[in-house]
Amino acid sequence: MSTPIHSALTRRSLLRGAAGAGALAAAGGALAACGGTDNSSPTALTASDSGPLSGSITIWSRSGDLFKVFDAAIAKFRAANPGVTVDHQAVDIDAKLANTLISGAGVPDGSFWDDAKIAGQAEHLYDLSALIAPYRDQIAPQKLSVNTVDGKVFGVPWDLNPGLLYYRADLLEQAGVDPAGLATYDDLLTASRALRERNAQAKPIHLDADPFLGQLWLEMLANQQGTSLSDDKGALRLDSPEYRRIFTWIKQAVDDKLVTHTPYLKPADLAALEDGTQAFVPWAIWFDFAPQTLLSRTKGLWRAAPLPAWTPGGARSGAMGGSSFVIPAKAKNPELAWRLYEFMTVKTDGISSVYGPSATYPGGLNTSIPAYLPAADPAKPLFQPIEALGGQDLWKVATEAAKTIPAAAPIPAWWAKSVDYLGDNLQRLIQGQMTPDDVIAESTTQIQRNLVDRA
Amino acid sequence: MTLSRRLTPYLYILPFLLVFAAFGAYPLAYALRLSLTRWTGAGEPRWIGLDNYTYLLTSPEFWASLGNSAVIWLLVVPIQMVAGLGAAVLLSNARLRLRGAFRVAFIAPFVTPLVAMAQVWIVVFDQDHGLVNHALNLVGLPDVGWLTSTAWSKPTLALLFLWKTTGFAIIILLAGLQSVPAPVYEAAEIDGASRWRQFWSMTVPLMRRSLSFLLVIQTLAVFQMFAEPFVVTQGGPFGSTTTAGLYLYDHITASDLGTGAANSFLLVILVFALSLVSVRLLRAHDE
Repeated sequence: MSTPIHSALTRRSLLRGAAGAGALAAAGGALAACGGTDNSSPTALTASDSGPLSGSITIWSRSGDLFKVFDAAIAKFRAANPGVTVDHQAVDIDAKLANTLISGAGVPDGSFWDDAKIAGQAEHLYDLSALIAPYRDQIAPQKLSVNTVDGKVFGVPWDLNPGLLYYRADLLEQAGVDPAGLATYDDLLTASRALRERNAQAKPIHLDADPFLGQLWLEMLANQQGTSLSDDKGALRLDSPEYRRIFTWIKQAVDDKLVTHTPYLKPADLAALEDGTQAFVPWAIWFDFAPQTLLSRTKGLWRAAPLPAWTPGGARSGAMGGSSFVIPAKAKNPELAWRLYEFMTVKTDGISSVYGPSATYPGGLNTSIPAYLPAADPAKPLFQPIEALGGQDLWKVATEAAKTIPAAAPIPAWWAKSVDYLGDNLQRLIQGQMTPDDVIAESTTQIQRNLVDRA
Repeated sequence: MTLSRRLTPYLYILPFLLVFAAFGAYPLAYALRLSLTRWTGAGEPRWIGLDNYTYLLTSPEFWASLGNSAVIWLLVVPIQMVAGLGAAVLLSNARLRLRGAFRVAFIAPFVTPLVAMAQVWIVVFDQDHGLVNHALNLVGLPDVGWLTSTAWSKPTLALLFLWKTTGFAIIILLAGLQSVPAPVYEAAEIDGASRWRQFWSMTVPLMRRSLSFLLVIQTLAVFQMFAEPFVVTQGGPFGSTTTAGLYLYDHITASDLGTGAANSFLLVILVFALSLVSVRLLRAHDE
């Protein structure tokens, strides 16, 4: 499961807030406490094949249901390797991991982490290229690319979050719209107009009002076209036909009043999802959480389809968010951590224990799919059809769409900070305060000056 | 005097000096050095001279953050000085019934955890489901984007700050009022001075030191304001509530530690200058 929601929330973390409140007075102390490191070149991790595993490791995961799922997988790993002890800890990773890597104190042997954070801290992580090498061709290209810096792989790819088009099947049927005909984004506009003709109050397409999630969504649409905010050298590529195509489409949807502009799954958004104002949510697979748990009135009326393509025959999905596992360069037992993550990400037993039916998720974990392609086989579902989607086989839809996701580029360390520019300007575009050219020109200038030039 | 006798006082203050050197002087010196480097927390800091300062002083975002703090200062401090003094005078009146209860009511917000109250603010001022907009709707007025529009976000945050800290202002001013000798007012009453004349010609001048102290303290607080925008708006919408304190924090969390350190020092200089102006004004009046 991806973690953008957690990321957004942790920006409000009280602990960091308290630290920041005294920043003016304490900045010197805080910065001094960081200390310097001389960890300038990554160390490559290799694994020996020397019989039964033994030893102990400390593993960090986020708290919540995912922790329970990983805990069960770890128990299975330990059952197969009785000589191994795993101290599995629920940690506020966004608040602690980067600081821990920099300070070098209390570093875990392995940790879950957002793909977006990995490239920025590569210097503090083990180079896992040699260990990943046997599996390279079997890992989703997008996941491999976001974990690769200067040709070296720093994260063990875990989940893939394909973008899908969630839609209200009942509303489309009433308006005579065939979901199978939504092949391009122009088709989506046409279908939205048809829905509005039937219901004058309808604003069928969800565009998000949260700058962070809005930019994450934008990157999904860019990834679908094989590009991203910066290339593998860190150079900006916002001024491109792909981004211009997205912004122009957004402007068209806004001008035609086809857009519900609300923050993701906040009360106003939920109300518009329930009352038929919204009918289309182009979003990551993890939107399925909403019909399953939040949309009580429309539960069972939602369905998922591949995203429309930007050009006829183009890719039908892009990735939105995602997470991997990292092994800190100062881990005490990195090889053992690798063995655990290898079990969880590329071994059948491990993947099944994470994604398959469990005490936490009786129907299986259905908010993402494995990044390991042999496990993401449309014919071999790991999670079950979803009642909240009318019994639809989401596994099949998601895994087939995911096959078309193009490779990407490492996510730059400044990506989250760029939300202050691109994320905000995207909101201005949706509010009609900027043109597509304005967004491209202004965001490029701001990101270049404040982030790229200072990286 | 023997050498040991001369050294004795220094030995007494040595523990303090050691602690101060470790946790005061060294971090400050380190941060000053850091402000002249580029460092993300990894590798060795790279010396770049005054580049961080140049960057900040030519950065529209830096000036915008100061501008946001200045606007909030204008919305908070003058109102707080006037309202705080008025409330303190009322609360010091021995004939006021339920005086203790009123004092508690005014001071309660000051001792309430800020983060909890900030969460309440989010709920009360929510555009779609907030109590304030609900009240507006009842009298036929439209919803207002208290926290989502650039026009209203600063006043809404300023209101939170006012609500939270006016109790503190009242404590300071009440303490100041206690120091005004009662015979001064008795003499004024005998001379026929009205209540307003007593307030304007006696209370206000005699409270000048307390008011100046409050001015300095609240100016410092506004320019360091962090938790309110961090919890309530995260600096948005469109950076309209990114205060000087939050802007500094953003650099640190983005691992741009050199710029964060430089920003700290620029803020120290600014706050020091503002404090100096206040103190000078006070001295000018005293002279």
